[in-house]
Amino acid sequence: MKRLLAFVFGLAVFQVAAHAQVTVVKGFQKRLVAVNGFGGSALGARLAEIVANDVRLSGYLGLARADAAEFVQQGNVRSDGSVECFVTHVVTKKMVLSKAYPARGDTRRLAHEISDDMVKAITGQRGIAQTKIACIVKRGRNKELAVMDYDGANARQFSNDGLCAHPRWSPDGTRILYTSYWRNYPDILEVNLLTGQRRVVAQFPGLNSGADYSPDGQLVALTLSKDGNPELYTMNAGGGGLRRLTNTRGAESSPVWSPDGRQIAFVSDERGSPQVYVIGRDGGEPDRLTVSPSYNTEPAWSRPPAGSDMRPMIAVTSRVGGKFQIGLVETLAPGQGVRPVVADGADNEDPSWAPNGRMLVFTKTRNWRSRLYLLDVVTGEELELPALGEGASEPAWGP
Amino acid sequence: MQSRVLTHTTILALVATLSLVGCKKKPTQLGGPTGPGTATGPSAVTPSDIGPGVTIGGPGARPDVTSADLEKRVFAPVYFDYDSAKIKPSEMSKLQAVADALRGNNKKLLIEGHCDERGTAEYNRALGERRAQAALAELKRLGIDASRLSTISYGKERPVDPGHDDTAWSRNRRCEFVPLDR
Repeated sequence: MKRLLAFVFGLAVFQVAAHAQVTVVKGFQKRLVAVNGFGGSALGARLAEIVANDVRLSGYLGLARADAAEFVQQGNVRSDGSVECFVTHVVTKKMVLSKAYPARGDTRRLAHEISDDMVKAITGQRGIAQTKIACIVKRGRNKELAVMDYDGANARQFSNDGLCAHPRWSPDGTRILYTSYWRNYPDILEVNLLTGQRRVVAQFPGLNSGADYSPDGQLVALTLSKDGNPELYTMNAGGGGLRRLTNTRGAESSPVWSPDGRQIAFVSDERGSPQVYVIGRDGGEPDRLTVSPSYNTEPAWSRPPAGSDMRPMIAVTSRVGGKFQIGLVETLAPGQGVRPVVADGADNEDPSWAPNGRMLVFTKTRNWRSRLYLLDVVTGEELELPALGEGASEPAWGP
Repeated sequence: MQSRVLTHTTILALVATLSLVGCKKKPTQLGGPTGPGTATGPSAVTPSDIGPGVTIGGPGARPDVTSADLEKRVFAPVYFDYDSAKIKPSEMSKLQAVADALRGNNKKLLIEGHCDERGTAEYNRALGERRAQAALAELKRLGIDASRLSTISYGKERPVDPGHDDTAWSRNRRCEFVPLDR
């Protein structure tokens, strides 16, 4: 009896801890779901495990026991390997999701599809479970390009260049631009994820780095130093059409396109410390967006989908007291301060938005070891992704 | 009774600890991460896979550099202040020595710009390029033809001192000079 009590109490401790982690955070109520799974088969158990983790990482939903949940998920695996999933609103008994999924070899992919359907059915918002994240992985002295599922599974290496940096996705998710020192100089390459084929995008004398596709995929913004100090340029994604946007005494870096493709945010240290500026896609006089703290870099402009409850905003990496923190710029009013969202004494860098415009992936470095984390900017909740080799950095969330 | 309570508490603590450990490890188990390299897809492509693409720099715009070249650092590095690309008066004699060595021959010179680790990656890459260009401008002023000079910025990627203190940082904020025998 004593043993049983101890066991039950221990379980309760675990449940409370798990529960507290996912309910009300900073005043935002997640929609709580009890994931009952897909029956007792091995496939069913695997699906349930992946779906539960997706719910945990979704931002919009939280995991709960049946008696605390607003929605209950049930499902089963049929004899032909196809899968059914049902989601019911507990109070109204209304079924918000009832769907059959054909048998499929890729269990993770099937689970992610189910998870996104659950987010859509419960919140009307776009899920992120089927997305991918590119990043730079440390391999001995080398740093190479890797692509993985958004939850850290299925990591694959896509370069063998020695030193790579700054991956950025094409809007259709089939290609990645990155900076490569494959010939010792920093060049911009593009890799096709379906074929593994690569091509040189920019190979001018000096610096070629910081490339970012426009939202329509037609143009690339980039930093080049071929005409002097590092300046901002655009070029046609297929090559040619090079156009210089800035002409300053400082260095411009890290261009990122606005969601409508009409503007580009970038970093300039022309007036001393690095700050974020915004310029029209055809150039002109840049507006200084940030003024404090004294060091704001790595702007990432979110692109929430149509119908989203999120508005576009810019995440940056600020330096405060010698430490790096993630901050948000929520309007385009010039001369703002940045609102810190991850400021915990570790070094937090490289923010990149999920396509839902709500979650961020970033690098957290503690004791000189780098790990990737997800951040829900609405709740402030942080979740660590599984460790990747000797360290991962510079994540870029795919479309 | 006392020992009973103690046992009870110990078990509770143990179970709670195990639960917490379980929580922490959960992402790893769920993620089931396959390390890079165990990939099944088009992994580990080699540089020779790269097609001609849109090479725009033009042939001859910069000399080819091998990893062996980069080991040949025969000149003293030029050091910089934090977050600065300005050549300090104390470093001028080093650039003079580089310029002297380049006179009377046609050797090319690679100038590497480096930063300490206290900056974000792309900003440091731009800062490293500015440092290399500041050294290039000074060598040009000392009479070296700019067509013999090229720059590489490594940002914070190639520290010479692996430490994380002022001494290491001041050694890592530098330009290195690599003579190319062609």
